[in-house]
Amino acid sequence: MPEIKTIKKSWAERLADLPPDRLKTAIQTLADIIDAPSADGLESCVRCGLCADSCHYFLDDRDLRNIPAAKLNLVIRVFRGQVAGSGRTRRAAPGLDAAAIREWADALYGRCTLCGRCMVNCTMGIQIPTVIRKGRAVLASLDLIPDGLDSTVALARETGNTMGITREDWVETTAWLEEDLRAETSDPSIRLPMDASGVDFLYAVNPREPKFYPLTLTAAAKLFHAAGRSWTLSSKAFDVTNYAYFIGDDALAARFAARLREAMDELNVKTLVLSECGHGFASNRWEAAAWLSEKIGRDVRSVLEVVAEDIREGRIRLDPGRNPKTYTLHDPCQLVRMGGVIEEQREILRHSVRQFVEMTPNRKDNYCCGGGGGQLSMSLYAPRRKSAGRIKAEQIARTKAQVVASPCHNCLDQLAELNKHYKLGVDIKSVLEIAAEALFPK
Amino acid sequence: MDPLRWTVLAAGAASLTALAFRARWATAFGGPKVSAPARGSAGRGIAYALGRGLLPWEKESARRHLATYIGGIIYHTGVFCAFVVLGAIVAGISLPRPLIFLLRVGLAAGFASGLGLLVKRAALPLARALSRFGDYAANFLVDIFVALALAAALDPRPTIPFMALSVILFLYIPLGKIRHCLFFFRSRIKFGRLLGRRGVLPPGAASAN
Repeated sequence: MPEIKTIKKSWAERLADLPPDRLKTAIQTLADIIDAPSADGLESCVRCGLCADSCHYFLDDRDLRNIPAAKLNLVIRVFRGQVAGSGRTRRAAPGLDAAAIREWADALYGRCTLCGRCMVNCTMGIQIPTVIRKGRAVLASLDLIPDGLDSTVALARETGNTMGITREDWVETTAWLEEDLRAETSDPSIRLPMDASGVDFLYAVNPREPKFYPLTLTAAAKLFHAAGRSWTLSSKAFDVTNYAYFIGDDALAARFAARLREAMDELNVKTLVLSECGHGFASNRWEAAAWLSEKIGRDVRSVLEVVAEDIREGRIRLDPGRNPKTYTLHDPCQLVRMGGVIEEQREILRHSVRQFVEMTPNRKDNYCCGGGGGQLSMSLYAPRRKSAGRIKAEQIARTKAQVVASPCHNCLDQLAELNKHYKLGVDIKSVLEIAAEALFPK
Repeated sequence: MDPLRWTVLAAGAASLTALAFRARWATAFGGPKVSAPARGSAGRGIAYALGRGLLPWEKESARRHLATYIGGIIYHTGVFCAFVVLGAIVAGISLPRPLIFLLRVGLAAGFASGLGLLVKRAALPLARALSRFGDYAANFLVDIFVALALAAALDPRPTIPFMALSVILFLYIPLGKIRHCLFFFRSRIKFGRLLGRRGVLPPGAASAN
C-alpha cells in the first residue's frame, strides 16, 4: 500500500487549531452549496417528529439526537439564522462555533448513514440525506472530516482507489485470479480481460474485491463468460466507490467519477457496468452526470441489471438446486431506495436458489444495515454503528434464513460484523457469488 | 366594502406576494442543470408524491402514528374550512345551509385536532425536544383562527375578531413556520421527481427491465 505522505493532525487537534475567521467562511460555504431542493427542505420541516421511527439509530437507543428532524434542525438553525436571515437576525442567530462543529460532526457523520429511509417517511418529502451531505460538506471545507473517513478519501485521491492498490498489484492480482479461474473451471478461454478496447462494457469493481473478496470478481467473470459478454477491466481506473460522495465534496466526487469515464473513452467503450456497490451505483449512475455536467447521458448500469438480462434472455442457465439452503436478501439503501435497482437482484436469486424469503420490510422500506454513509471507515463511531445494526440483525433473524445475500460490499462487511456481534450464525454472500454457484453447466 | 374587509384582502395579497418572493428566493439557490438518463418517470413520481404517497398505508411513519397523522389531516381540513368562511365573509357571499353545516363540523373537528396536536407537542418528550417557540406560536395562532372561524360560522355577527386575527395570520404566514403551506408542495414535487426518475416511486415501478 502506498504511503500517505502527510501525517495529519487528529480531528480534535484540527478543530482546536481552526482560526475563528475560518468558521465565518463555513457559513459562506453553506450558502454556496445549498441548492433549491435543500432550501425547500430546510423551509419545510415542521418538526412533527414522524420521521423518528424511520431511523435505525433512533429505533436502537431512542436517543433524541438520532431523530432525523433533530439532525436536520442543526443545519436549519444555522441556515435560517445566518443564510436566510439578514442584519440583526444574523447577529443574534446561532452560528458555527467549536461546540456547534462538534455537534454537527457527531450528528451528521456519526448518527447518519445517508440511507434515505427518513426521506421516504417524511410527510413533507424533505431530501434529508441531501441536506446532511451539505452539512458534511461544510465540515469537509474546514478540513474536519472525521478520522478514518478522511484518510480513506485521501487514499482514493492519491492512489486512485480506496484500498491504495497500485496499478501493478491490480494487474498482477487479476492475472493470478484468471489463472485460478481457468484451473477451477478447466476452461482455458475464460478471462479477466484487461484494457481490451471496443468491447461491450467496462466493468468497475469495489477495491475490496481484489483485496478481500476475489470470489466476487471471479463470480462476475464466470457469469459474463457464460453469457458470452465481451467486457474489460481497466488497469488505470477500476474503483467503483466514491467516498467523496459521503463527505459532500462534489468537486472531488466529480474527479473520482471522471476517472471511470476517462477509462471508458480511452478504451472506446460505451457502457460502464458497476459491480455490487450501493453508493458506487448511486454516485456513478445518478450523481456523476450532474457533477460532471454531462450533456450526453452515459450508459451506466449495475451488474445486476446485466446478469438479470442474461437470465431473462436465456444467455445463462442457472440451477437453483445447487443452492439448497434458505436465502434472504438485504437491500442496500443506495442501490435500492436511492438507486431504483429493486427487482433485478430478486430475479437473479429466484433463479439461483431453491428457497428465498424476503425480509420485512423490504425494497424501499428496508432498514439500513448501518454500514453506509462512510460509517465503516470511522472507528470513532463503530460501537454506535454495531449497536444500531441491531435492527438489521433482528430483521435477519426473523427470516430464519441460513444465507444473507447483499449486492453491496460495504453492506457485506457490516453484515459480517453483525453476524459475529449478534451471533446470527448465517453465511453472508454477494448476489453474484450465489448466481455463479448456480451456473449450469458450471 | 368596509375597511376591515379591505385590510384582510390587502393582508392576504401581501402574504401571497411575500410567499412568491420566498419561492423565488428558494429557487435561486439553483440545482443541477443536467440529470442522468431516467430509469423511471418523473411525472409518475410527482403524481405519487402528491397523491397516493400521502395515504397512511403507503408510509410507515403514518401507519405507526395513525392518530397523529389523522389528527393532522383533520387539522388542515379545519384550516381550509376557516379560509372558506373567511372568503365568504370578505366577499359578502351567504353560503348554503348544508355547506355551513359541513364547515362547522370541519372547523370544530379541526380546532379539536389542532388543540390536541398542540398539547401533544408540549407534553411528549420527543415532540417537545424537537419544538421551538415558533412551532407553538404557529399552532396556537392557527387554533385561534379556526376557533374564531367556527364562531363566525355559528353566528355571522361577531366577525371583527376573526377578520382582525386573519390579518395577523396572513402577515405571519411568510415569516414563520406556516410558510410550509408553500414549501410542502415544492418539497413533495422535488421528492417525487427525484425518486420517480430513479424508478423508486411509485412502488412497483421498478419491475426488472
